[in-house]
Amino acid sequence: MAEYWGVTVDDIFDTMQERFRPEGAAGVDAVFGYDIAGAGKWKLTVKDGAMKLEKAKDLAGCVASMVSDSETFVGVNMGKVDATSAFTGGKIKVEGDLGAFGKTGKLFRKYAPPKKEMSVKDYLADMFGTVVSRFKADATEGVDYIYGFDLGGKDGGKWTVFIKDQKCRLVTGIDCKTSVTLEFGEAKDYVDMILGKIDANSLLAAGRGAAIGDINIALKWGLYFEKYVDPMATGEPEQELLMLKKTISVNQAFVTGPIMGKFLNALKEKKIITNRCPKCGRMHFPAREVCAECRVRAEEWVEVGPKGQVRYMEYVYYSFPDPLTGESRETPYGMIMVLLDGCKGNDIFMHLIRSDQIDRIQGGRNEKSGTRVRPVWNEHRVGSIFDIKYFEIDE
Amino acid sequence: MAHGKKNRNVGIIGIGQTKHSSHREDVNQPEMMHEAIAAALKDAGLTMKDIDCIVHGNMELFEMIHQPDLWHTLGTGAGGKDCFRITTGGTVGITIGCAADNLVASGMYDIVMAIGFEKLQEGHTTGGITNMADPLWFRNLQTGALTGSKAYDLIYEFGEERAKKVSMTYRIIMDKHAALNSNAHRSFGLDFAQADDLIKNSPKLVGDLKLIEMCSQSDGACAVIFACEKKAKELSKKPVWVRDHITVHREEVFNIFGYDDKYPARQTQRFAAENLYARNGIKKPLEYFDVFEMYDPASWWGVDWLRDFFLLKGDEAVKLVEDREIMIGGKMPVNPSGGVIASNPIGATALLRVAEAALQVRGDAGAHQIPKPVNHALASGFGGTMWTVLMMLEKELNWQEA
Repeated sequence: MAEYWGVTVDDIFDTMQERFRPEGAAGVDAVFGYDIAGAGKWKLTVKDGAMKLEKAKDLAGCVASMVSDSETFVGVNMGKVDATSAFTGGKIKVEGDLGAFGKTGKLFRKYAPPKKEMSVKDYLADMFGTVVSRFKADATEGVDYIYGFDLGGKDGGKWTVFIKDQKCRLVTGIDCKTSVTLEFGEAKDYVDMILGKIDANSLLAAGRGAAIGDINIALKWGLYFEKYVDPMATGEPEQELLMLKKTISVNQAFVTGPIMGKFLNALKEKKIITNRCPKCGRMHFPAREVCAECRVRAEEWVEVGPKGQVRYMEYVYYSFPDPLTGESRETPYGMIMVLLDGCKGNDIFMHLIRSDQIDRIQGGRNEKSGTRVRPVWNEHRVGSIFDIKYFEIDE
Repeated sequence: MAHGKKNRNVGIIGIGQTKHSSHREDVNQPEMMHEAIAAALKDAGLTMKDIDCIVHGNMELFEMIHQPDLWHTLGTGAGGKDCFRITTGGTVGITIGCAADNLVASGMYDIVMAIGFEKLQEGHTTGGITNMADPLWFRNLQTGALTGSKAYDLIYEFGEERAKKVSMTYRIIMDKHAALNSNAHRSFGLDFAQADDLIKNSPKLVGDLKLIEMCSQSDGACAVIFACEKKAKELSKKPVWVRDHITVHREEVFNIFGYDDKYPARQTQRFAAENLYARNGIKKPLEYFDVFEMYDPASWWGVDWLRDFFLLKGDEAVKLVEDREIMIGGKMPVNPSGGVIASNPIGATALLRVAEAALQVRGDAGAHQIPKPVNHALASGFGGTMWTVLMMLEKELNWQEA
């Protein structure tokens, strides 16, 4: 099976059980599918805080399935590929209920590849194997240097790095005169120096390493190449970077003023009232002091609705976190723009539609009426927009 | 609309921006802003000593830092200088540009720097937008910045197949432009052959607005330096002149969804364009301007607003996109930078439109420079409840008063 970053798709699935977090599965009762091109299909059953994973021929019966190629799947699990970009760019697709699939994010601890030991030989292969890819061409305008590396010991070897015309070339062996050659009796010392385990000055002072030729050129290496990154490192940043987490919770209280107060108070009586502009006849929702178009006071109060017709509905699939509660809203849901009876033009009233009715809503246009709806009132009313629970189809 | 004549001409003499990214955990806010400011100063060949005044802007609810200009003083270099803080929502970036232009034009300051930024990863975008809504009413209902209404409108007008295709074509063009802009947050390497697949498979957010069609959430900053005519000519080889700008607001209720032809709702995009062009004597904006950097929150809006901003009719704007005339090299290149869909550090986003338009006028946009001379550029901002700002930039100080 193909490896990506040293990890196979099977590695990810084989460790799912041990990475499973029962606390993240509370309240989840669903079967999820994974269709990983080039690797196979899996069904993940989550119920009562436990999980079962099985290979599958097809993913029938899954509430939602992730479809991806092997490299992207491994990359996302390893943190090498940005999941949002992969999803947005279509490299990962979710078939079925996207909102439900989002719950899988909390089910598992992050995958961590098993630690493998790297030998001095492995490190040298990796360090010189990445020299060309770490080369910073932009920083080498006018630079014409040849670096030699002569590393002794049983794992050692010789390499030459040419920098000329803003290009970098690596060859094994040293077959020409170099600008500077770094010589180390033991290749391990060189590896430890690059990994930051031993200080270069100590090695030079102890005679375990030497720069033969122009030492100033040796010191410029860091300008021309990105720093070598240890593939075995834990990913801890070298700089002292922290992310400080904060949660703000603030109690707020807003006064309504007399106009909004009158409007909201009427909701307690199951009445929808508003004020009409004496000039253009427009009615505001909610009621407002003046007509913003005509800039005149609107003092005539009228009762409208409570039934009306839908002119437009926002069919919301995206699971918004509700900032007022912190909970994700159940999706899909519909936010409707209702033209209440007695209103005209753009005098629309915004609210929610009963969630099991969203697929039956038609918007109106010009003379053509949209779906007729009526408000469903709460028993206990306090003078708030949610004294109306939602609207439902008037049938 | 009452509008006074400028007291003196103003030129853009310095432009700087960060790389835009989904995460900048390597720097804090003032450090990130300083990257853009240092780049703008370097571009202008100035130091902070030369800056008379700073205009600082973002949407503070996104990071929940109130008066962030206090914390940012070290990063902005505002210590010991006049500094104004402005926040106007999505438009803020271009509003600080307008303010800097006005401050210099008035004669109060010779050199003013506008700095806009956002670190969206440090806060909660939907939470921020929700807290801008009327707390007595709409805060409880609204759904952040997402709406499927423009897709609904275009599908009604042009039919499902054509509308979806043109939106995706616009999206892919923006992706191709972003690939040429090394500062862009994201480019997926999309190709036109993928359009049908993306239409079918990209997840829906609201209505027919799909994830791939929506703008990004980015961290980044942009700084632009404005100077009076005398200083601009002394200090800069290629000043870009700010000819005019217009800002149009509307009330905060969304009373635009009645769908009754007898009661048209005011579109601030067209209203702003009509008024701006009328007072500048521009009859055919599509022919007059050489490039347009538009604040396009999603590809559907991008397509439709082309019609409003260029005063087009029927499907003229749709055809511009279908014929790929909005690509770099087309008749009217739109967002050579990749636009807002590619990079969206919100408080900087609208200033980036001005910055990128000015780079095009200078011929300094690099790989995304359009291949014909750019003498007249247009930049737009969008935010609030359908607010619009437009700014016109010129290569030469030779325009005629209308």
